[in-house]
Amino acid sequence: MLHHIQNKIYHVEILPPKQDSEKLEKDLETFADKYSRVMESGYCACITDNAMGHLAFQGTEMIEELELPVFPEQVMIHLNTFHTKEDLDNILNTCIAKGIKYLLVISGDGSERLPKLQPSDIGAEGVESVTSVELLKYINREYPGKFNLGVAFNPYEPEEHEFEKMERKMAAGAEFIITQPLIEKNAIVDKLLEKYPNVPTIIEAWMSKKLHLLSEAVGYEIPEDAEYDPIAALKMIHQTYPKCGVYLSLLGFKTQYDLIKDTWV
Amino acid sequence: MRIVVCIKQVPATNDAKIDPETKRIVREGQKAILNPFDTYALEEGVRLKERYGGEVIAITMGPPKAEAVLREAISVGADKAILLSDRAFGGSDTWATSYVLAKAIEKIGGVDLVICGKQAIDGDTAQVGPGIAAHLDYLQGTYVMAVESIADNKITVKRMHEDGYDVCELDFPAVITVVKDINTPRIPSLKGRMASQKCEIPVWKPEDIGAEVDKIGLGGSPTRVVKTQPPTARQTGTIRIEGTPQECAQALVEELRKRSIV
Repeated sequence: MLHHIQNKIYHVEILPPKQDSEKLEKDLETFADKYSRVMESGYCACITDNAMGHLAFQGTEMIEELELPVFPEQVMIHLNTFHTKEDLDNILNTCIAKGIKYLLVISGDGSERLPKLQPSDIGAEGVESVTSVELLKYINREYPGKFNLGVAFNPYEPEEHEFEKMERKMAAGAEFIITQPLIEKNAIVDKLLEKYPNVPTIIEAWMSKKLHLLSEAVGYEIPEDAEYDPIAALKMIHQTYPKCGVYLSLLGFKTQYDLIKDTWV
Repeated sequence: MRIVVCIKQVPATNDAKIDPETKRIVREGQKAILNPFDTYALEEGVRLKERYGGEVIAITMGPPKAEAVLREAISVGADKAILLSDRAFGGSDTWATSYVLAKAIEKIGGVDLVICGKQAIDGDTAQVGPGIAAHLDYLQGTYVMAVESIADNKITVKRMHEDGYDVCELDFPAVITVVKDINTPRIPSLKGRMASQKCEIPVWKPEDIGAEVDKIGLGGSPTRVVKTQPPTARQTGTIRIEGTPQECAQALVEELRKRSIV
């Protein structure tokens, strides 16, 4: 992951179509176009897994069914806890077969309709539910050496608790970190970088102009009419965190994609 | 084993509107979904097929747009789907609906097991499953929370009731209605969804299933809705508990005990 940062490789989030899409073929086409564009640019495509609890198709099945090429350094799959054990193993085995090695392991934010891994499914003892920590342990135990595993860091959660969780994630085998979106310099992220100077850290940049959608994530109300320039924010992240990579969420492929190549200087 | 799963398209709300004139559910302008209880019926059908072999056929009675729920059924593993759609079916109550579904099941032929959700979230009657069994003279097991086994042309099920469960053995052919405890429905795969878009869904009309005209639709429905009214809203209120965290926790537990919640 470190060479992604050294080589200025952006991590570009791509959302698969939702399960209830009424224009599935068009959405699949759009997904394939975005994926191809990211591959051509030499960036890393990061495919979400039921982001925000919206039932969406899984990254591996998108790649399989659309027969998309996989360049191992350029694909990252999000993997959360809202799967059956069978589905989890299917996803992991498909990743291995396709040469996908980067996984972002997260505790799920799935909807009620989604199944949920139980501790007994993956041999986790002494816990009531499966979080990213148990999932990391399971993957490292059952699929040793097959994956490069990343975890999320949320600077808007209570600090002590978040750092304690991060310690457990690191102990479970996490190798890189992706933060929640930053819209300004963040003292908690600064502490994270101090504490884990050798762990590649990717800062999420919020590329939507609708900043108010972040209200829930940051824990305070952002007015709907708040002015926000995503490209300026992206530049700020590069200047403030020059040793970090950048994860672009909700990137506008029509309006912003061509602008980002000149931003990381 | 041939399994038929009866499903229904319902308004995407549990706050169904009733037409004051006709006393029927207003479906116009409402987003429609697969009845949530039917997702468990479908999942159980597909699981039984995967475990014991055979095929799953999903059927529904409704307007042409109800085809959408049949495609959803295909996307999660049903092998075939049949839409029962005709103006003559319109206005059917649970008795007429179960008659139409029973006639369709007869036409399909060789059916071992019929699975329904325990009820639909729009009408909430829980009558159609038992109605099908009555029309076909099949054995029935309602409120099924688990299928224990299928062997020797028999199905063994656990039926949920208020004090626990019964274990029942039913000879095939049988009808079961299932509760949500029975399984966790799978999410459609992309492959399944794509297959569901391509599959052809036949539309059967009264004459296709040999349904007698005076037993279907409004004319064939003995139910008369004389009056409907919304239930009285429950009395709710908020109690603010003050004190230290320990005092608050203690007061909360006491309050919950007082109401027999814990």
